[in-house]
Amino acid sequence: MKGIAHFISGVTVASFCPWAVEAAQNGNPVYFILGAVAGILPDTIDFKFYRFFYKHDIRVEPQPYQLDPQPIADAVAQAVSLAMEGKRATLKLASIKLGADDWRQYSMKIDPEAGEVQVQFGPIVSTGQVPQPDSMPDPRPVAIAKFDAPILQSYEPTYTVDIFDGPSFAFQCNEAGQVEIDFLPWHRNGSHSLTVGALLAGIASFWTWKAGVVVFGAYVIHVIEDQLGHMGSNLFFPITKKRAPGLKLMRSGDAFPNFAGVWLCCLLIFWNLYAGIENPLYHFTFIRLIMTAMMIPFAIFGAGRWLLLRLDGEG
Amino acid sequence: MILTAALAVLAGTVLACFLAILPGLHIYNVMGLAALLIYRLQDLGLAVAPQIYLPFMIGLVVGWSVLNTIPSVLLGAPDESAIFTVLPGQKYLMTGRGYEGTMIIGAGSLIGLYMLVFIIAPFAPKYLPVVRNVLNPHMHWILWVIITFILMTEWPKGGNWGPAGWRKFFNAWSTLGAGLLTFGLSGLLGFLLLYRAPIAIEDAFQNIMPAFVGLFAVPWCLLNALSGAEVPRQHVRDTLNINGDLLLRSGIAGGIGGGFAAFFPVVTGGVGGLLAGHATAQRDERVFLMSQGVSKVVYYTGALMLFFVPGLFLTRGGAAWILKGLYTPKTLGDYYLALGSIAIAGGVSFLLMSPLTRATLWLMKKVDYRLISLFALGIIIALVYSITGWVGLFVMTVGTGIGLIPVLFGSRRLNCLGVLLLPIACNMSGIGEPIAAFLGLL
Repeated sequence: MKGIAHFISGVTVASFCPWAVEAAQNGNPVYFILGAVAGILPDTIDFKFYRFFYKHDIRVEPQPYQLDPQPIADAVAQAVSLAMEGKRATLKLASIKLGADDWRQYSMKIDPEAGEVQVQFGPIVSTGQVPQPDSMPDPRPVAIAKFDAPILQSYEPTYTVDIFDGPSFAFQCNEAGQVEIDFLPWHRNGSHSLTVGALLAGIASFWTWKAGVVVFGAYVIHVIEDQLGHMGSNLFFPITKKRAPGLKLMRSGDAFPNFAGVWLCCLLIFWNLYAGIENPLYHFTFIRLIMTAMMIPFAIFGAGRWLLLRLDGEG
Repeated sequence: MILTAALAVLAGTVLACFLAILPGLHIYNVMGLAALLIYRLQDLGLAVAPQIYLPFMIGLVVGWSVLNTIPSVLLGAPDESAIFTVLPGQKYLMTGRGYEGTMIIGAGSLIGLYMLVFIIAPFAPKYLPVVRNVLNPHMHWILWVIITFILMTEWPKGGNWGPAGWRKFFNAWSTLGAGLLTFGLSGLLGFLLLYRAPIAIEDAFQNIMPAFVGLFAVPWCLLNALSGAEVPRQHVRDTLNINGDLLLRSGIAGGIGGGFAAFFPVVTGGVGGLLAGHATAQRDERVFLMSQGVSKVVYYTGALMLFFVPGLFLTRGGAAWILKGLYTPKTLGDYYLALGSIAIAGGVSFLLMSPLTRATLWLMKKVDYRLISLFALGIIIALVYSITGWVGLFVMTVGTGIGLIPVLFGSRRLNCLGVLLLPIACNMSGIGEPIAAFLGLL
């Protein structure tokens, strides 16, 4: 899920702790801040620290103005070959920055059935990943590099490289003789494990066990949310060495699940704060809150969107 | 009386149209001056009826919040609530589509006004008092959580190339470090302004105005003037290539971001824009731009509307605080007057958006862009000097120094909001005075 969803989930976990609400009512925000920080911490560790120290065996940094896709395809095939030789090979495909807000897009496809890697350059895109008109290279050849190995993909067959940091992969031969491809091997490993969550909670417990509970809950909810997606997490690092596959119920960038998750969290926080009031001025039930603030508005939104898409001929 | 009110709102809207084009001038300054004028007239025995000044003031706020998109996109001189529109807006400008970019944000503003008047307003008297009752004791930690969000969700822009190691790490952290430095320095400036206010609050009710102008508007004008960018020939298109689905999605995202900013104290339109951007979680630039338009209008106009909501009468934002000194709303009639004024002012300002954008583009064709940026900078300096004097200019210069850090290092400009968020959050948690004492400000 997106950062905002993890962040608010951590705050929501804190709101379920009566001591956090009570402390907040007395002017102490620390449990909620702890929940928020712990909720987003796994991604912070990966994206702001660990990835800069993760070493790659093969780094491909394409030249911005010499668009030759063949070296990229060759590098991927080389990584597959190294894996077949029994070595674990890590590969980084760097992005191509052309200006403050311009990036050259390229795609890399691993086709296990054809036994080949295909790479092709695409348009210039903005940081918002919107293609610029008339920016497609001409000619636009597809580079092909062959390999001879059975492939086990854990993520996607096609990877698009455009903005900020390019993707990285780990290639390793498994016991069945297949080359397993791990997408972003530095991500969702140790940082996204229940054991590290427990360790951090233990550290927080030196201050008070209440802080430990908040930290553990917020950290774990992040891991659980990520487990709903495709990539999964290494749940019991260092006992387990690999990521457990996700449930594939959603993609991390999907707008609706993220938005619905954030909104549900807001409502749960609201309910928990309401429940913390000793003599409330207003009275309502949880069901009524969810119906009024989520079910009915979402139904209206869905119906409205369906109607608008039909009117635009996209439905 | 209805006709008088309608004329008053029209007068306010039309005046706001021209004020909105002036970069750096905040409508709250003008409202402050108008309030001073009303007080002066009252002292002279010439009382102005609320049915005249309320619609007039609402017209000022609505017109300005819709039309200040023009200097943000075309002149690169945003107010704080429009900072997220500058970069994508300037990209539209540099590809000859400045008109399109401005009008897309304008369409978002219109959606925001629709949402306020037709969706939020009917339900506000029933539900918002409940929300306030539940959340009131919790405002302080919500503010701290927002600060945490701002600081923790800025992702590194560098460190994408080269071998792994400390060099890569430091390269990435240069932007993050600049962001944290900006927030810290802005917060320090905020403490100074709060505990050793160098500018009298009576100066048009805006002692923080020079700092805001320095932090947000001046760095862009300077950059535009120094960069020597040539603005290409601009094309005016008849259609905006948007559909109902895009309008709906941007309306929801911007409405929630702007509504959040309007309802919670100290949270500003810039934070609303940030939340709207995150909430959209989509890569369509049009949705992003429109959501920023929605957020900006819902923040400014919505905050003022809350002042009139029966059973709530919430004072949020500078406009409501200025009006509070003049008038206390009591009845449903006041609410309907406010809603009618918002609807009229919104419609008129949107209709004026196209001609004013075309006029600004025409001017830009005739005059060198750098000269326009320098002229905008001149107006800003003149306004700050005329309202707050030399001390204000000094505060603006300090703000500019801080505001240049994110511009030069490519970090998030929203960190400048530390000027408000940090001292107020500290105060709300009861640690403001000890920190001020530690800083030697007491």
